[in-house]
Amino acid sequence: MQVTESIILLIYLIVMTIMGIYFYRRARQSENDYFTAGQSINTFVGAFAIFAAVASSSSLMGAVGSGVALGVPYFFTYAFGVIAILPFSMFLVSGQIRRSGVKTLPEFFKQRFGKSVQIVAAAIVVIGMTFYMVPQLTASGLIGSHVLGIDYPMAVIILGLGFTLYAALGGMWAITYTDLIQGAIMLIGIIILALFIVVDHNGIVSLINDALAVDPAFGDITQPWMSYFGLFIAFLWFGIISPSVVMRNFASRDAKTARRSAMWACLLYLALFVAGFFVTAAGASMGIIDTLDNTDMIFVSVIEQYFPAILGGVMLAGLMAAIMSSADAMLLAISAGIAHDIYKEHINPKANERFVTGLGLVVMIVASIVGILIAIEPPGLIAIMVGWVGGFLLSAFGFPIVLGIWWKRANTLGALSGMVGGSIVFLILIIGQWFPTNAEPIIAAPVSLILMIVVSLMTEPPSDETKELVDYYHTHLEE
Amino acid sequence: MASRSKFKDPGFILTVVLVIYAGFVFIWWPTDIYMLGISLVAWLMFIGLFFWFLLAVIYAVWIEKLEGS
Repeated sequence: MQVTESIILLIYLIVMTIMGIYFYRRARQSENDYFTAGQSINTFVGAFAIFAAVASSSSLMGAVGSGVALGVPYFFTYAFGVIAILPFSMFLVSGQIRRSGVKTLPEFFKQRFGKSVQIVAAAIVVIGMTFYMVPQLTASGLIGSHVLGIDYPMAVIILGLGFTLYAALGGMWAITYTDLIQGAIMLIGIIILALFIVVDHNGIVSLINDALAVDPAFGDITQPWMSYFGLFIAFLWFGIISPSVVMRNFASRDAKTARRSAMWACLLYLALFVAGFFVTAAGASMGIIDTLDNTDMIFVSVIEQYFPAILGGVMLAGLMAAIMSSADAMLLAISAGIAHDIYKEHINPKANERFVTGLGLVVMIVASIVGILIAIEPPGLIAIMVGWVGGFLLSAFGFPIVLGIWWKRANTLGALSGMVGGSIVFLILIIGQWFPTNAEPIIAAPVSLILMIVVSLMTEPPSDETKELVDYYHTHLEE
Repeated sequence: MASRSKFKDPGFILTVVLVIYAGFVFIWWPTDIYMLGISLVAWLMFIGLFFWFLLAVIYAVWIEKLEGS
C-alpha cells in the first residue's frame, strides 16, 4: 500500500463527495437542473467541463499505454482523432442540436424522425454507455489496487459503487462543477509531470533519443494502416455520437458560450496531449513495458519514477478524477436514456419529476453493477475498449445525426435502417474478428450511410413540417 | 430573408478543410520517412493537432461575425 498516495486520494474523494452532496440539493429542484445543470454554465466552467467529459481515463492511461506498447505514431493517431472531436462536432451538429432545443440525443431523434427511432436510439445509448463504463472501471481498478494494495476486483467494486453514489446524488450540477476541479488537476498534473521529464532528460531531443535507444521501434508504424484509420475515425466522431458529450453542450448559458467553451476545451485537450507525448517517450525510455502485467499501468510507473510521492498522489487523484467525471457523465446519459427518453416519453408521460429523477437513480445503480461485473474480467486493453465503444456509436448514430441535420430528404425508415444496420454490421465484425483491431467502423459506418440514403430515397419523403424543422436548425445562416 | 445555402455554412466549409488534411495524412502515409527517429506520419499528425485548434478558433470567430451582421 502506498500510504501518501492513499491519503491524498482519500481526501480528494471526500472533498468531491461533499461537493456532490452540496449540489444534490440544487439538483433535486427540477428535472431540467438534474440533467443539464439548468443551462447556466459559463465559458470558463464549460470549457473545463467539456474537456473533462471528453478526456476519459483512456485519454491519459490508454493513449500513453498504447503509445509505449505500439509506437508513438499510435499515440499521435489517438491525439489526432481526439483533438478533432470538439471542432468536428461544432462544425457539423452542435449549434443545430442546440437550436433544436432537445435535452438528450434520443430526444433529438424523436423530434427529427419520430418515436420509433427514439426508442431504438435510447436502447443503443444504454448499451453503448454501459459498456463504456468498463474501461473506466478497469482504469480505476488498476490505480486503486496499486495505491490501496487491495485485489483488483475488490478495487473495481469499491470504486465503481463510489462513482455511482456520487453521480446519483448530484446529477449534472455536481458533475459539471466538480469537473472544473477534476479537469484542472488532470491538466496541471500532466504538464508538471512533462516538465519534470524534460528536465530529467536534458531536453526534448535527448528524451526522444533516450526512448529510441531503449526501443528502436518507438517511432515506427507497427500496426496495419486500417487500425490507425479506424481508431482515428472512431475518435473523430466521438463528440457527435457520444451522448455524454452532447449533453454537456446543453449546459452552457447560450450558443456563443457553448462555442467558446468548446474552443477553449480544444486547447486544453491539445495541451494535455502534447504533455502526454513526453510521458509516452519517458515510458518508452524506462524499458519496462514487457514486465508489466497490464500495459496501461505504464502511466502510473512513469508517475512513480519521475514524481515524489506527494505529487504522485495528486497526479493519481487527477487520473482518478478524469475517470470519475467520464464515468459520471456516462451514468447520467444511461439514466436519462431510460428515465427520460423511454419511461417519461412513452410509458408514463404524467410521471412527476421527482419520480423520474428517482427512477434515473435506480437505473444508474443497475448499469454500474453490470459495468462492474464485466470490468472484473476486462475483455481488452483500455484504448481498444474505448475504440470499440466509439466505433459502435459511430456505426449506429453517426449518419442518422448528421444527415438528420443536413439532409431534408432523410426520413424515419432511412434513419432506422442506418441505425440498426450499422450496429448489427459492427457487432458481426467484432464477433468475426476478420479485421485488425478497431477497424470495424471503416466498414460498418459506410454501410449505415448507404442504408440510410437508399432507404430514405426509396420511401416517402418526410412531411413539410419536418423539412421546415431542418431549415430551422440552420437559421443562423439566414440574413 | 433568403436562406443561405448550407454549403456556405462555415461549419460545412471547415469540415471539408478538416477532411482534406486528414485525407492528406492517411493517403500519403509516409511511414518510411523519419525525422528525429520518428515516422513523418506521426509528425504530420502532431502538426494536425495545432491545425484542429486553429480551425476551432476560426469557426467561433466566423460564426460570431455572421451573427453580428
